[in-house]
Amino acid sequence: MDPLVAAASVLAAALGIGIATIGPALAQGNAAGKAVEGIARQPEAEGKIRGTLLLCLAFMESLTIYGLVIALVLLFANPFA
Amino acid sequence: MDLSDSSIQPSSTSPENEPTEQQISQANGAMDEYRQFQNGLILSSAVIAGLLFGPIWWIYSLKVASSYLLGASSGVLYLRILAKNVEQLGTGKTQVGKNQLGIFVVLIIVATQWNQLEVLPIFLGFLTYKVGIFIFVLWTAVLSPSTAR
Repeated sequence: MDPLVAAASVLAAALGIGIATIGPALAQGNAAGKAVEGIARQPEAEGKIRGTLLLCLAFMESLTIYGLVIALVLLFANPFA
Repeated sequence: MDLSDSSIQPSSTSPENEPTEQQISQANGAMDEYRQFQNGLILSSAVIAGLLFGPIWWIYSLKVASSYLLGASSGVLYLRILAKNVEQLGTGKTQVGKNQLGIFVVLIIVATQWNQLEVLPIFLGFLTYKVGIFIFVLWTAVLSPSTAR
């Protein structure tokens, strides 16, 4: 592999996964905090709150997964190599 | 967070601040409801992956179909670990764990390094859990009002 392409790919992977995780990380922290707050307010609704949190986290984390796919493909199956 | 927030009302407890039997049974019922929901999500994802395996084998090849099945199985495992992390949230753990992402990282690394597997079917198979979630929520919320949460 051309050293310039290799260096650019590693840099792009690092930047890609770093930037891709910022938004979901903030959103997940916010959602989890609000869910725990909601459970503290209404313990009887714990099941519904946790279920909704699970759905939200599953969809939010897929955004991280998209960034992860791009980074891993650049590192291990680089199409420009 | 403002700890002096007066809008947060503590739930009623006995004078000794110990949970009553009614509160304990309510909490157990809520967690049973959550576990039922979690099992439903996992089951619907697994069923959809199984249903799609045959047509993919028929249309493409066994290699593509087995890659898809591997991705879908990993997706179901990912969903299960995420559900366990959500279940433990607030009971000792203060944040949702990230260990479920390790499954996906290992999966993609294996897929890119092993020539017998293909990356795209594995990735799409992994995302089958989203279809499973969508169909399960649609089923419980719209199509089956008797079991609506």
